[in-house]
Amino acid sequence: MTYKPNDFGIRPALEADLDEIMRIEELCFGEEAYSRDMVQNALTTVGCKYFVIELTVTASAPEIVGYAGIAHFTGHAQADVHTISVDPKYRKLGLGRRLMKKLLETAAKEGATDIFLEVRFDNVAAQNLYLDLGFKHIDTRKGYYQPGNIDAWVMRLELDPVAPALEPLVLGIESSCDETGVGIVRGNTLLANVISSSMQLHARFGGVVPEVAARAHLEALQPTLQQALKEANVRLSEIDAIAVTNGPGLAGALMVGVGAAKALAVAIDKPIYAVNHLVGHVGVDVLERGELETPTIALLVSGGHTSLLLVNDLLNDVQLLGETIDDAAGEAFDKVARLLGLKYPGGPEIDRAAATGNPKAIRFPRGLSLPKDMEKHRYDFSFSGLKTAVARWVEVKQDDDEEFSVADVAASFREAVVDVLVTKAVNACLDHNVKHLLLGGGVIANARLREVAIERCAKNGIELRIPAFNLCTDNGAMIAALGAQLIMDGREPSELSFGADSTLPVTQVQTLK
Amino acid sequence: MTKLLTIDTTSGTSVAIHIDGHLAAAVHHDSGVKHAELIGNAIIDVLEQARLKPAELTCVAVGRGPGLFTGLRVGIAAAIWFAEGIDKPLFGVISLDAIALQLLTEEPTHAPLLVHTDARRGEVYYAIYQGLDRKRMPVRLSDPSVGKFDDVLESAAELHNGFVAKTGGATAEWVGKLADLQLSSQVASEDASALYLRAPDAAEPKPNQMFGKRVSS
Repeated sequence: MTYKPNDFGIRPALEADLDEIMRIEELCFGEEAYSRDMVQNALTTVGCKYFVIELTVTASAPEIVGYAGIAHFTGHAQADVHTISVDPKYRKLGLGRRLMKKLLETAAKEGATDIFLEVRFDNVAAQNLYLDLGFKHIDTRKGYYQPGNIDAWVMRLELDPVAPALEPLVLGIESSCDETGVGIVRGNTLLANVISSSMQLHARFGGVVPEVAARAHLEALQPTLQQALKEANVRLSEIDAIAVTNGPGLAGALMVGVGAAKALAVAIDKPIYAVNHLVGHVGVDVLERGELETPTIALLVSGGHTSLLLVNDLLNDVQLLGETIDDAAGEAFDKVARLLGLKYPGGPEIDRAAATGNPKAIRFPRGLSLPKDMEKHRYDFSFSGLKTAVARWVEVKQDDDEEFSVADVAASFREAVVDVLVTKAVNACLDHNVKHLLLGGGVIANARLREVAIERCAKNGIELRIPAFNLCTDNGAMIAALGAQLIMDGREPSELSFGADSTLPVTQVQTLK
Repeated sequence: MTKLLTIDTTSGTSVAIHIDGHLAAAVHHDSGVKHAELIGNAIIDVLEQARLKPAELTCVAVGRGPGLFTGLRVGIAAAIWFAEGIDKPLFGVISLDAIALQLLTEEPTHAPLLVHTDARRGEVYYAIYQGLDRKRMPVRLSDPSVGKFDDVLESAAELHNGFVAKTGGATAEWVGKLADLQLSSQVASEDASALYLRAPDAAEPKPNQMFGKRVSS
């Protein structure tokens, strides 16, 4: 069996991992192994940061194949590597290096300026790894390892909090729908987020026209790139890697970004990461909070998507709970706006019209919310029936020559959409015992959606995250951020042969080739 | 010394390098699909063949079409960001002109030459040429256009007595050759926009019939 780097993922160690960690500890260190009590203590002590690396591509549960930890107390300059070990069966896969880089990154993020470790004087392979990562041999301790009375090297590394190896400078491009986005991040820090939207060009068609969107992407490529570099105040020669959306989305639109990104990667001789658009929406939270609180439910609502995700781990475990079976929510807003003689895009127009309306004036149907639907489609959405219901309602009024309030129709329609979106998202949180809900996608700009989400999350003890609007809507910064996450996790870049995949599943965070 | 990298994706995926007007490397995938998949490695391949690093190139050229939109855009997108990446100028070449150059170089004729390529839907992209000028560049008599092949032949017969019609496919080799001629004659164009020749295929929705009556707001 041969393994690929992406078959493994790193996550913080839990107390529940103790049995598996002890198995590896004893396998690797034999009589010099830490005792169970010591390890348990380390896993639960504030100031100790432990991680496990798991084989995630297995038929059953993920298997822990290595672990590592540091001690660092807030405010201290010094961090110590407690331990690092990888199951001998999984050596020579670079897992030790990945764990070590995770420790260095953690120590740097915590504000440590020096990190120390001890290693057996005769463990040349480990010493070489540490030397390669920049550690220096500063001292030798006689008889450090007992009972064998074996000498240890003491090694030290000065941490640079913005060292490129730890905080990669990544340029991301997004072109999956009607926004050309170029973003630049350093690690989890946003440096530039330039968005060129072709929304106005689609207005007269009442919806996004793929060919119009693709043409606009091509024209926006050069100005958005130049502006992003200017905003971030970096030169292309400083960029460490390129990240690009390769799906899901409009094929012709995606291909513009993919073609441009590949050529740029070759031109500056840097690696490229092909990443998933939807996972990008989820990962964007690292730019505002430094990390993503997991597990979290993510509700992504735009003109192209209406998806409910369960995110246990951004890079290793994203599950699609449900999605729309017909129109996306944004599309429903556009179509109903047109029915009511309002402009495109429909979301803000309906919001405006609904401001003076009564949301309870008309009880429009909540799609896939009846008990019989909930069995099969608990987390799925449907907005096509709602749109027809609005059309029928207005038709009847007109046939009877009866006056009616557009404001009431808009408010009642909007209420039906928002109610279903938030109800299903909150259900997902409660069903999976998840305390966080993250919103993403252009429809998140909708005032009523935010209001209802805030209200119901508060009532159910769920922490709600709504990123800033220019990070909610499609953007290149989220793609760059996801690329940076992959790099910091030690993932291999994508090969240059990958293509655009309009139906890329959300479980595929990165496309390797 | 001119070291030119040329990309053309109007039909296949094609990349070439010319050094001082001489072909140094070329990769041509004939298939009209998978442009996005092929473009990155095609650029790497020609750089390796020519033993050049990207930074050693002095300029970039791209075929602007006309051609099938989706593929065409991949090449132009790649050329724009490649040129940005190496910080060198980008020049656009009309791909039909490059086909004409190839046809007129390989089989010289004094008769007017109608060059056409498949535009799908029973139509062709075309332009009419009259030999090569003193700089060995094709002389184009009409703007690139799109039309039904029979109509195109009919109107060409009216305007250009004794014309010859030929088809071909653009390659980076010939797009680059033409770019090089244009550069040395100082007539190269920095316009690298796509030559679509057709409006996007989208219909504006009809005014709403169902809700033609006035409603209060």
